[in-house]
Amino acid sequence: MAPQARTRVIIGGGVAGYVAAIKAGQEGMKVTCIEKRGTLGGTCLNVGCIPSKSLLNNSHLYHQVLHDTKHRGIEVGDVKLNLKQLMKAKEQSVSGLTKGVEFLLKKNGVEYLKGTGSFQDEHTVKVQLNDGGETSVTGKNILIATGSEVTPFPGLEIDEKTVISSTGAIALEKVPKKMVVIGGGIIGLEMASVWSRLGSEVTVVEFLDQIGGPGMDTEIAKNIQKILKKQGINFKTGTKVVSGDKTDGSVKLNLDSAKGGKAESIDADVVLVAIGRRPYTGGLGLENIGMELDERGRVIIDSEYRTKIPHIRCIGDVTFGPMLAHKAEEEAVAVVEYIKKGYGHVNYGVIPAVMYTFPEVAWVGQSEQDLKKAGINYRVGTFPFSANSRAKTNLDTDGMVKMLADPETDRLLGVHIIGPNAGEMIAEGTLALEYGASCEDIARTCHAHPTLAEAFKEAAMATYSKAIHF
Amino acid sequence: MASFAAACRMSARLATRKLQQDAASRGFRTSAAALAAQNFTMPALSPTMTEGNIAAWRVKEGEKFSAGDVLLEIETDKATMDVEAQEDGILMKVMQGDGSKGVQVGTRIAVIAEEGDDISSLEIPADEKAQSTQAAEAPKTQTPATPEPDSAPPSSTPPKVASKPGAKTSKQTYPLYPSVAQLVKENGLDESAVSGITPTGPGGRLLKGDVLAFLGKINTKTPSEISARFNKASHLDLSNIKVAKAPEPKKPAKEAAPVPPPAPVKSVVSLPVSLSAVIEAQRKIQKSLGVFLPLSTFISRASEVANDELPLPAGYQPTADELFNQVLGLDKVAGPKVSRGAYIPQIAALPPASAFPTSAAPAKKLDILDILAAPSRPKQAAKKTVVLPGASTGPNVFSLQVPKAEERRALVFLERVKLVLESEPGRLVL
Repeated sequence: MAPQARTRVIIGGGVAGYVAAIKAGQEGMKVTCIEKRGTLGGTCLNVGCIPSKSLLNNSHLYHQVLHDTKHRGIEVGDVKLNLKQLMKAKEQSVSGLTKGVEFLLKKNGVEYLKGTGSFQDEHTVKVQLNDGGETSVTGKNILIATGSEVTPFPGLEIDEKTVISSTGAIALEKVPKKMVVIGGGIIGLEMASVWSRLGSEVTVVEFLDQIGGPGMDTEIAKNIQKILKKQGINFKTGTKVVSGDKTDGSVKLNLDSAKGGKAESIDADVVLVAIGRRPYTGGLGLENIGMELDERGRVIIDSEYRTKIPHIRCIGDVTFGPMLAHKAEEEAVAVVEYIKKGYGHVNYGVIPAVMYTFPEVAWVGQSEQDLKKAGINYRVGTFPFSANSRAKTNLDTDGMVKMLADPETDRLLGVHIIGPNAGEMIAEGTLALEYGASCEDIARTCHAHPTLAEAFKEAAMATYSKAIHF
Repeated sequence: MASFAAACRMSARLATRKLQQDAASRGFRTSAAALAAQNFTMPALSPTMTEGNIAAWRVKEGEKFSAGDVLLEIETDKATMDVEAQEDGILMKVMQGDGSKGVQVGTRIAVIAEEGDDISSLEIPADEKAQSTQAAEAPKTQTPATPEPDSAPPSSTPPKVASKPGAKTSKQTYPLYPSVAQLVKENGLDESAVSGITPTGPGGRLLKGDVLAFLGKINTKTPSEISARFNKASHLDLSNIKVAKAPEPKKPAKEAAPVPPPAPVKSVVSLPVSLSAVIEAQRKIQKSLGVFLPLSTFISRASEVANDELPLPAGYQPTADELFNQVLGLDKVAGPKVSRGAYIPQIAALPPASAFPTSAAPAKKLDILDILAAPSRPKQAAKKTVVLPGASTGPNVFSLQVPKAEERRALVFLERVKLVLESEPGRLVL
C-alpha cells in the first residue's frame, strides 16, 4: 500500500485546480487532481458563474418577452414560465461543461481522483474516495486550490430552502413571492435580477452606502442602482440586518440603519445570504503540516505562490487577491510556469470584474474613489449609450462608458462600463491597460460602425480631447 | 648553421637582459611591492621579432630555477630557441602554456617570484600590458557600439534626451502606438531621436507620455512615476499579512464549523505482544542461513498479513456497487464484508511499573495537541521504534491511534499481529 508517487498533486478541481492540472499535464508532469464534488470545475462551473449566467440569460429573455417586445412591434400571446425547464437548460449547460473539463484532463494525461484530500504529512495526501475506501498519493509538488465557500450570516442558518446561499438561489423550485437579499454585491444583485425578472418582489439590503461591492466605481454604482430600481428591485442601502427569525415557510428580518437610527422589520419567503465568500480549507489537514493562515483564513503565500513549506504552493480563492475565476485561471498557469520555467506572469493591476445584470457592469483598473483616496490626479471622460447609434437602434440605451486617465501623459488608469455586453467590451479596456495605452491610442484605433464599441472609442476621445457625437 | 644557432642564442641572452633589469629595479624597492611576484613577459629574441610560439616550458609551475637554467623554448618563424634564467627564482604561474601560438612580444607569459618567497601567499600582479592595451582600445570598441540599433541598452545617452542619466532607451522594434506615431510626425522627430526617448511602458514600450516628456510638454518625471505605480499594482500586496494568532484555540472552533464534518474522535487501541518468539526465530535464521533479519522486517510482514481482510469500520459508507449488491441480496451470499487496512502499529516497551490497561481506553491522557498532531507524529514514532530493536525481549505494547469507528477493526488487526508474531514468526520470512 505504498502511496502513489506523482510529480504534482493538486487538491481541488475548480478553475484554479483543473487549469493547473491541464497546464502541468501539457508540460509533461505526472499529475493527480483530487476533487470531492464529483464533477470538475468547482464553484464556478457547478454552482456559480456558469449556472447563474444561464438563469440570467433566460430570465432576461422571459422578462423581455413579457414586458419589452410589445413596443418593438412583437406581440406574443400567452407567456408562461416553465421553471423546471429553465433549470433543466441550466443543468444541461453545466453538465456539458464539466464533462468537457473531465475530457480535457484525460486528454492531457491527468489522473483524476474523486475524493476528499487531506494532508497526512508534507508530502503525502490521503484521499478518502467518494466511492468508499481510501488511498494516498505523494507529490514532489503539491498545490492547494481548494477555493472558497459562502460566508454564513451569523444567526441565520442556511437551509437552502427558506434561507439560501447562492447555491440554493440557482436551484429554487418555485418563484418566491417575496425575497430579501442580504448583501448588494455582484452575486446578490445577479440573483436579485433573476428572481425579480421571474416575478419575485425583491429587496436588497446592503450595509454599505453603495451597491456593487467596494470595487465598483461609485458613480457607476449609483447609476446601476437607478436602472435596477426602475426594473423593480427595491434597495435598502446603509442598512444592516440585526437578526432574523425563521418561522415555517417564512423569515422575518430585523433591520437597522447602519449609522444607528430607526429600526424596522421585513418579511420574506426566501432570504438569500450573499455577504461574501471565505477561503475554504476545512478537512484539508493543514494542522498536520503546520500551515499558516492569515486572520481571514487565507493560506499565506509568497509572490511565487509558495506557502511556508516551499514545495506546497497555493492559488485561487483560498489565498490572496480577488475571488474571481479568471484570476485563479491566470494563477494556475503562472504557478506551473514558476515550477517549470522559473517565472510566471499575472498582472494583478489589470484584472477585469463583471456583473451580469441587465445592463451589465464591467470595470478594470482603478476607480475614481481609489484615485481620490490615493491623491492621484486624473481626468475623466464619459460617453452615454444614449448617444450611441447601435444602442439607439437596439432600444437599449441605459448606461455609459467612463474612462479615467492621467491628466499629463494621458495614460489610461481605469475603465468602467454600464451597458449591454459591457462584459465583452471590457476586454478592450483590459488590453489597453496591459499595454499601457493612452486614451488617444484607443481613440485613434478604428472601431466598426455601428457598434456599441464606438461608445468606448468616443469615451476615450472625451477623455483626452472631445467626443464627436456628444 | 652552427654560427646561426650561436647568434640566436646570443640574441636570446640579449633579450633576457630586460629580465635582469626588472629584477634589479625590483631589488631597489623597499616597499611591500618588493614582496610581490613579477610578471615575466614574452621576450623579443631578435630585433625584428614581434611574436613567437611557446614550444615548451622546461621548468614546471612551482619549481625553483637558478640563473642559467633554461626556462622555456620559444619557436619563431626562424628557429627554436631556449630562454635562460638570469637569476635564481621560482616559477610561480605559467600564463601561456606549452604550444601557445602567436604570443605578442611583451605579453605576460608567466609570473615569477624570488627564491624563498612563499608562493601561496603571494598575489599575482596585474597584467600591465593588458591594462594598457585595453585602455587604448576602449574608445575604439565603444564607437561602433553606439550606432548599433539593437544592442540592448546603449550606454551613451543621445544629447537631446531630457531624462535621468542611466535610464534605458531602446529602439522601438514594433509599430509605434498611434498616439506616439502622431506626436513623432507632428514634431518632426527622426528615428534616432525616437530611439533616444526613454520608454516607460510595459516591456520597454514607448508611450505617449514618454514622447510628451521628451518634448518637454509635461513634467519629465511623470511617466516613470506612473509606470512605478502600475508596476506596484501588478503584484499581489503581500506586505501586511496578519498571521492568524494562536491556532490552537482557533482550530477546534473551525472543526466545529457546520460545513466540514467534525474531525473523528481518535482513540488508542493497544495490545501487549511478546517478541521473544521473534527473537528466537531471528537467531535460528541467522544460525542456519547466516542472514540477519531485523525486527522491523518481522513486524512489517506481520502487519502486512494482519492488514488483510479486516472488518469494515462502523461508519463505513458502502460503494455504489455494494449498495446494488445489497439491493439484490447478494451481499449475504458473498459473506462478511471486509476490506484491506493500512495500519502501522506503534511499538513501545511495556513500562515495567504501570499496570497495563486491558480496555481500549487511551493509555495516556489525550489532549488536543495529540489529536492535532496525531496523523504525522505517531507514524514517525512508529518508524523509530520499529527500526530500533531496543525494546525487544520482554512484552511490548503495540498500539494504534484510530477514529472511534475503527476501534474494532484496529483491535482485530492487533490481535492478528500478536498471533503471528508470538506463534510462528519464522513463517513470516521463510
